[in-house]
Amino acid sequence: MKPLLLHGHERAITQIKYNREGDLLFSSSKDNKPNVWYSLNGERLGTFNGHQGAVWCIDVDWTTTRFLSGAGDNTLKIWDCETGKPIGNITTNSSVRACNFSYSANMAAYATDKAMGHQCEIFIIDVRNADDSIGQADPILRIPVNGSRVSSLLWGALDETLLTGHENGEITIWDLKTGKKLQTTKEHDNIINDMQMSKDCTMFITASKDHTAKLFDSENLMLLKTYKTERPVNSAAVSPILEHVVLGGGQDAMDVTTTSARVGKFDSRFFHLVFEEEFGRVKGHFGPINSVAFHPDGKSYSSGGEDGYVRIHTFDSSYFEYGFDY
Amino acid sequence: MPVAVTDEVKSSWADEVELEDGSLPPPTEVRENGYKIITEYKYNEDDKKVKIVRTYKIEKRIVSKSIALRKTWSKFGESANDKPGPDPATTIVGEDVYMQFVTSKEEDNKPEDEGGIGNLKALGDKNIVKCRTCSGDHWTSKCPWKDTVLAGGKIPDADKKSSSTPTIAGEAGKTAGTSKYLPPSMRGDGSAKRTDNTSMPGGRRDDTTAIRVSNLSESTTETDLEELVKPFGPIQKLYLAKDKQTGQCKGFAYIHFKFRNDAAKAIATLNGHGYDHLILNVDWSKPPAQSNQ
Repeated sequence: MKPLLLHGHERAITQIKYNREGDLLFSSSKDNKPNVWYSLNGERLGTFNGHQGAVWCIDVDWTTTRFLSGAGDNTLKIWDCETGKPIGNITTNSSVRACNFSYSANMAAYATDKAMGHQCEIFIIDVRNADDSIGQADPILRIPVNGSRVSSLLWGALDETLLTGHENGEITIWDLKTGKKLQTTKEHDNIINDMQMSKDCTMFITASKDHTAKLFDSENLMLLKTYKTERPVNSAAVSPILEHVVLGGGQDAMDVTTTSARVGKFDSRFFHLVFEEEFGRVKGHFGPINSVAFHPDGKSYSSGGEDGYVRIHTFDSSYFEYGFDY
Repeated sequence: MPVAVTDEVKSSWADEVELEDGSLPPPTEVRENGYKIITEYKYNEDDKKVKIVRTYKIEKRIVSKSIALRKTWSKFGESANDKPGPDPATTIVGEDVYMQFVTSKEEDNKPEDEGGIGNLKALGDKNIVKCRTCSGDHWTSKCPWKDTVLAGGKIPDADKKSSSTPTIAGEAGKTAGTSKYLPPSMRGDGSAKRTDNTSMPGGRRDDTTAIRVSNLSESTTETDLEELVKPFGPIQKLYLAKDKQTGQCKGFAYIHFKFRNDAAKAIATLNGHGYDHLILNVDWSKPPAQSNQ
């Protein structure tokens, strides 16, 4: 396969996300301009200019009309997808580390960092009529998080619950009616870098610095599968059409210069969802992979790395023909 | 998108020369049998006119209305001024990569192999292994007699105990059940002898005339080393530690001289000697730091 290299960022990619149909690919990096690309030919549609700091998290709503980005400049911004113009701006106390539209995109959730004397907090906001005034509007719900900070966030079924991954490896379900913890589990030993839902949202996959990715039931946090590697996992995604998961990782960015590229192993690694066995690797990045995402049609996937490149890979027929012996 | 009409075909190089009055030919766009060919002219950094030809394959895809609508969105932000189609500055077609399949067979074999070794380890030093030195049930490399005089000849287990206590040479010979002849120099506790008896022949190689040279530079070769130590006297053996893969010097070497005096001389002269931008560290070669039981 000939990957498309998207070089619109000057610094490390922090997150990439497809919209629901998969025709657009959004990317954010530690420079302050999230980009949006046509996933088919790698053409850049535009950049969202306005942040002053590293953009840590992005999301796009179900209809691809609005785009959400949280950054290290203590703001969460809502953008118009078509024009790239900001619709709303919410100032927070510390940097925004995770943000997500709810499935219906009536609400959005974001989590702030534990820094500068402020504790980590989760906010639920109403974004139905987002405009300039959203910065002053009160959030629907504000949950202070006492323990370890939230490092990753997902909406649960029917927009009634929220799943959060924490810095110490805990995963918590929150009830959004009461703002209380419903359940907590600690299967990871280190920070959860990324969480992604499977297509039907019955399961989600976590990627942790403890060198594993794990598959959980999104209803009751039951640990279903564990995918073991020998390096930190920064991102993991579940294929929407096959029983495959892809893991991206590598050692910490700060350790890259002190270890040889050979050891670094910056490949995307494909595991079988059920058998937890690795069956394929794709090379390419010059640094750790920070974010991976499957195209919603399952026929291509993208990875964004510390090297600042986003690579769109369209699978060869060999990938689909590959049968798993068992 | 309208197809640009391009009839300005340059028929000869002479016409092109005429155009070199500073103005560039207009960019052209040709569409033919499914390909779009865009030809542009530019001045590069050296003020030379360059012609850029880009060929795109045009594909038609049937997509949902919402996607089709999004395809008509105008570009914004940093891309606002980009032309239709991928901008080569931001979108690069990468080199071919292939998914490397890890066949499940390999995966299956691996744990088995490990298991095999693991089992062997578990059985460990029990019955399978037999020491070549003392016939004990351990690996030869782990033999407590490895570096003692026993390393030379085989002695059955029973004898091992007796020889650990200092015995008279004749007795040692008797107690050896298999009555294998041992030369007098090999009898008794070798380890005790070795440290003080400088002229012990046989057994382990005589280390008393050996010196260890460290802090050598990577590029040192055996020839270099030989030249360095030759002036001090005849050499028995010379060993330069090299990296298995790169073949480069690991930074230290052992030199066995014929005579101890020469070795002492070499140490006195070479220790602290500057060699190849590094300062050498030379001392007597010390016997491997392991206990004889």
